[in-house]
Amino acid sequence: MSGPGRLTRRRFLRRAAASAAVAGAAATLPRVWCGAAETPGPAKSRVVVIRHDALAAEGQGPTPGRVREILDEAARALTGDAKAADAWARWLKPQDRLAVKVNCLGLPTRPAVALGLVEAVGGIGLAPEQTILWDRTNRDLKAAGYTLRARGGVRCFGTDALEARGNGGYSADVYTSGATGSLVSRIITDEATALVSAAVLKDHNLAGITGVMKNFFGAIHNPNKYHENGCDPFIADACAQKPIRDRLRLVICDATWPQYERGPPARRQWQWPYGGLILSTDPVAADRVGCEILLRKRAAVGMKPFDAVGRPVRHLASGEARGLGVAKLERIEVVSIGRPWLDVA
Amino acid sequence: MMPNGRTTRRQFLTALGAGTCALCAARALGRDISGESTSGARTQVAVHDAMWFERLPDKAVRCLLCPRECVVAEVERGYCGVRENQGGDYKTLVYGNLCSTNIDPIEKKPLYHYLPTTTALSVATAGCNMECKFCQNWRISQYRPEQVESLLILPENLVRIATVRRTPTLAFTYSEPVVFYEYMHDAAALGRRQGVGSVMISNGYIREPALRQLCRVLTAVKIDLKAFTEKFYADQCAAHLEPVLKTLEVLADTGIHTEVVVLLIPTLNDSADEIRQMAKWLVDHMGRDVPLHFSRFHPTYRVQNLPPTPVATLDRARKVAMDAGLRYVYVGNVPFTEGGNTYCPSCGKTVIKRVGYNVDPAGLKDGGCASCGHKIPGVWTQQQALAFKPKEMAAPKGSVM
Repeated sequence: MSGPGRLTRRRFLRRAAASAAVAGAAATLPRVWCGAAETPGPAKSRVVVIRHDALAAEGQGPTPGRVREILDEAARALTGDAKAADAWARWLKPQDRLAVKVNCLGLPTRPAVALGLVEAVGGIGLAPEQTILWDRTNRDLKAAGYTLRARGGVRCFGTDALEARGNGGYSADVYTSGATGSLVSRIITDEATALVSAAVLKDHNLAGITGVMKNFFGAIHNPNKYHENGCDPFIADACAQKPIRDRLRLVICDATWPQYERGPPARRQWQWPYGGLILSTDPVAADRVGCEILLRKRAAVGMKPFDAVGRPVRHLASGEARGLGVAKLERIEVVSIGRPWLDVA
Repeated sequence: MMPNGRTTRRQFLTALGAGTCALCAARALGRDISGESTSGARTQVAVHDAMWFERLPDKAVRCLLCPRECVVAEVERGYCGVRENQGGDYKTLVYGNLCSTNIDPIEKKPLYHYLPTTTALSVATAGCNMECKFCQNWRISQYRPEQVESLLILPENLVRIATVRRTPTLAFTYSEPVVFYEYMHDAAALGRRQGVGSVMISNGYIREPALRQLCRVLTAVKIDLKAFTEKFYADQCAAHLEPVLKTLEVLADTGIHTEVVVLLIPTLNDSADEIRQMAKWLVDHMGRDVPLHFSRFHPTYRVQNLPPTPVATLDRARKVAMDAGLRYVYVGNVPFTEGGNTYCPSCGKTVIKRVGYNVDPAGLKDGGCASCGHKIPGVWTQQQALAFKPKEMAAPKGSVM
């Protein structure tokens, strides 16, 4: 069996450096969890929903360059900055090592969305080599269309690629948060100073929806333990794991072709070309907005809301209760760019 | 559960030898099952059809193996983390994927009334259908198959190793055998045909039809009764008490030799009142002769804030349980205590003396007290073990096997 990796001197120094970088960044950057009770800031959390015909293209979809332009516009809208670089610089520093958690289980985050983000943060000096696109396993990433790469350009690999460090690529320490107790991917604990959740907007057969919050089930070693009671409060607790909470800077939800029924497996008949991206620093608010989009679509096609089909979306309220963000729509400022965000035709 | 002892050089070499033997045997036989890599590196995850599930609309499945009855969408896994929905078919990812292999004294399981002084070829895969915060083996039980290093040993090779090593028993143990049910079932059935018995060391979280089917091939069972309150099961194990009690009732009904272990954790499940109620329930539902072991807790996993169980607490629990009517109550994880011995309930003489894993059954003769002849319940010969047959039942409905 695989035991915990020994803490070598090299590993100790690497971890210490990563921790120091995280602490330093946290001291200089604005708080991510805006709107939470414990956090001074605006009364409302801001969520940008940007829609564009290019995002609704089928197949591979838009190019990363086109996505970058769209993300730049969304970032400016989110912060109010005139220049995109100023907006990105609010969340990331040129020396950051950025881990972008994509979701490859079932309907995946489109590679163009993740690569567009890499191009966008390149605008403030983050070289591609400083970014890792990752999920649980190499197999999942490959199946979702990602090109695995350990070095030479934007890196892309699964947590399992680090299994030589022990525990299948997960931390030696158990991190406890609320009802969860988990090992966390070493991509977060050992490699990253900053984290972005780049999830997909889709229906979930237990939790109602899966978005930027549940995406972090793919960052812990035992997500199978946390699917009861509609995954609540486990989704919120997993998001609040210290290594995740300390590093999370931004959330992006791929709503280019969301799925409103029978997720998380990809089912084409329940997807539609919404052509959107959701951007926020508040993961709860971003998922609330995503949830409203799916609810609106379900209503438009004559489907009952999640509550009525036995899978109420509970984790948003739990997320707010834990200070992760804002769950109530009336406390969320939705900045809609392009077609109105609730137009789901 | 087990084990708490360090691996000795002898044990290591034994395990290594067994593993090498199995690999050689597998190659020589040219047998393998379809395997695929789910990781970027060395861990191989074998895929095998699962038993005990039903198909639901849109390629979902409902697992019928344990009381959780997980509804699993395509591409997802059940609570145990080792059973996966692949395109509407339910698969086990741990068929023969052994992450632990040792030859242990049978007393280490602990089974005190089953072939004393013999050994058991003890194996485990990753995974469990509970999440006990105090799990002594959490580094395999709470992991998914691709997160541990495993060796593929198919049932034929496992039985062959047992035969070559002259171990009369296979023990499915360490993590939670219920989650590697298919492998356990097939290996136990094969072993039975070749003169090797099989014991399951389990939390008892299994549905009745699957359990009854399994009892047709097993020769003994040990159940961890975590506590006697629903609150403990809910708070500490993410599970429920009632299904475990149901399992104990079913085991008693089948007549298979069963022993029960309770890990006493200071302040959480060690009150005299709770132990009294538990013992009374065991007397009422399993009889006075079911062996009960109180085992010592050591801080681990998510329960690091409590001390090891005081020996006095274990001794007190033993007395309470015996006062409630149980005849064979033991204290475990403590090397030098009279609570480790088996005494004749008739004349009081020592029948089996134990100091650690040193066992002296001099007081046992023909399955009874050598002094007064009183019959001691248990399985004392391999012939007796292999002769066991449970009460038959009608084939369960609503399941796909």
